[in-house]
Amino acid sequence: MNATILRLELLRQFREFMGLFFIVILPAFFYLIFGASMDFSDAPAGNGNVAMSIMIAMAAYGAVVATTSIGGQAAVERMQGWGRQLGLTPLRDSTYVATKALVAVIIAAMPIALIYTLGGLTGAQGDTRAWVLSALIVIPGAALFALWGLVWGLAIRSESAIAVASGSTVVLAFLGNMFMPLSGTLLTIAKFTPLYGYAALARYPLTEGWLATMDGSDLAREPLWVPLVNVAAWTVLLALIATLLVRRGRARQ
Amino acid sequence: MHLRGLRKSFRSSSGPVVAVDGVDLSIGYGEIVAFLGPNGAGKTTTLDMVLGLVEPDAGTATVMGMRPRAAVQAGRVSALLQTGGLLRDLSVAETVRYIAATFPRPRPVEEVLARAGLTELARRKVSKCSGGEQQRLRFALALLPDPDLLVLDEPTAGMDVRARREFWDTMRAEARAGRSVVFATHYLQEAEDFAERIVMISGGRIVADGPTAQIRERNSGRLLSVDLPRHGAEDLLSDLRALDLISEVSTSGNRVLMRAADTDAAALALLRDVGVSGLEIASADLESAFVALTGNAPAEAPAGTGARTRPDHGPAAASTNGTGPARSAHPSEENR
Ligand SMILES: Nc1ncnc2c1ncn2[C@@H]1O[C@H](COP(=O)(O)OP(=O)(O)O)[C@@H](O)[C@H]1O
Ligand SMILES: [Mg+2]
Repeated sequence: MNATILRLELLRQFREFMGLFFIVILPAFFYLIFGASMDFSDAPAGNGNVAMSIMIAMAAYGAVVATTSIGGQAAVERMQGWGRQLGLTPLRDSTYVATKALVAVIIAAMPIALIYTLGGLTGAQGDTRAWVLSALIVIPGAALFALWGLVWGLAIRSESAIAVASGSTVVLAFLGNMFMPLSGTLLTIAKFTPLYGYAALARYPLTEGWLATMDGSDLAREPLWVPLVNVAAWTVLLALIATLLVRRGRARQ
Repeated sequence: MHLRGLRKSFRSSSGPVVAVDGVDLSIGYGEIVAFLGPNGAGKTTTLDMVLGLVEPDAGTATVMGMRPRAAVQAGRVSALLQTGGLLRDLSVAETVRYIAATFPRPRPVEEVLARAGLTELARRKVSKCSGGEQQRLRFALALLPDPDLLVLDEPTAGMDVRARREFWDTMRAEARAGRSVVFATHYLQEAEDFAERIVMISGGRIVADGPTAQIRERNSGRLLSVDLPRHGAEDLLSDLRALDLISEVSTSGNRVLMRAADTDAAALALLRDVGVSGLEIASADLESAFVALTGNAPAEAPAGTGARTRPDHGPAAASTNGTGPARSAHPSEENR
């Protein structure tokens, strides 16, 4: 790891105000509007309340937007020739990837910190274990979505890739059961989408598998293997596609 | 730098493109060498293999006795790339600091900025820099490892005439410090003014290689080119070779190129006695040598150089001006 490069890469993120808005401010705002200020916010959910469940979902959402856009940026940068510039230095590919990953984790930690703080102040409740574990799951889980951004960046090769990748996270978050509780056929379909497993795992320490419904009552209990299989399958799939695209993209464009 | 049998082709929609087709070349310490050829000649691809950015299909490249990638990692070779992207949201100084941080013992950032004439622009965003300024920034990045071999791929693309002159002044100073410099260009003037040795490349092959003065001298006099008929071309060719007035006959397809001191007499003999058609006469400075040697490459000559004499521009378009067109004003840039 290289301190100068890490610092410059972080600086680039902090300068990008609009990016930070979508990563930090908007999900925090969502939590306050759709979580904390709702009547059902103190209805029970697992070992805590609904506010806590929405808090985790929004923090996870902000973290995913962060890693997706950083992954997308990295891909586009490399495709547009910065990769060739770095190819003329002793910098190893692995160091570059590790630096970008650390930047992604640091930026992803920002919405988590802010939204968990807001949650604590506005009555989100759950086991201490649920607070700690959910945050610990959100961060590495979000790192997986750097791959999502990477794949889009490698495939589209222009700035619009970043827009596509981060825009798609809104739809995926909805399908991932993050914005409102899904049920019926939609829920069945949702279980195959990339954000579902991640969101379910993040909330698992709180819900212990109980799925919420619109009226706040607990319905069915989902076994842990469902989100685990979802995350594993998507990790493998995205990693495979990314590897194929990286091979294709090493040449001059 | 040693290149042996270097070969590289790319897949494209219209079948494979052979970009580099068997290049053998050795460049010694302290040499300043121009890689001269039209767009698409294979200059960039060759240099990419020298820098370890592209793996050759066949052949080997060694730099300072090392594999290219090892030489890059050791900071022995660096380059100003034609298609190297910069991060638009960083400032000039930040970009230099970023790349400097990748090297164990880089030249000081301030020094490199001063060398490339960027001290005043240090705080400017890359996105707000002109093409020429970005090119100087790439140059600054190339200076960072204090390399023994500096590779420059069309370094003055995007610079105006003054910036170009300043750039080459800086380069001369760098070369005096004992570096070897290899630069690719499609500007003859640049090759002629700056290089001690010129390697002409066309269609992925080296078509001429020698000291600049020698290449210029060998190409004094004037060039004539003519079309041969489809039938009886062989006989005509031997007739041509028998003619005392001309020397150095070379053919490519139906086109024959030759050199003559007395072009008027030679032209008369060719038209009257030999019976050729499509006669063209061009001044034989470096430029016409360049055209003669590379003019039949599949790629076009540098864009916007309509004034340049090309032997294959059709019959009877004889250019009899001895000096050739002005070469100092560089026309529009090739920019990818
Ligand atoms: N990545 C690539 N894919 C397909 N064709 C390529 C690629 N890179 C270069 N070429 C082709 O190889 C030939 C040589 O290109 P290049 O080395 O860029 O020439 P130069 O630098 O002399 O202009 C050209 O015909 C070009 O179109
Ligand atoms: Mg080129």
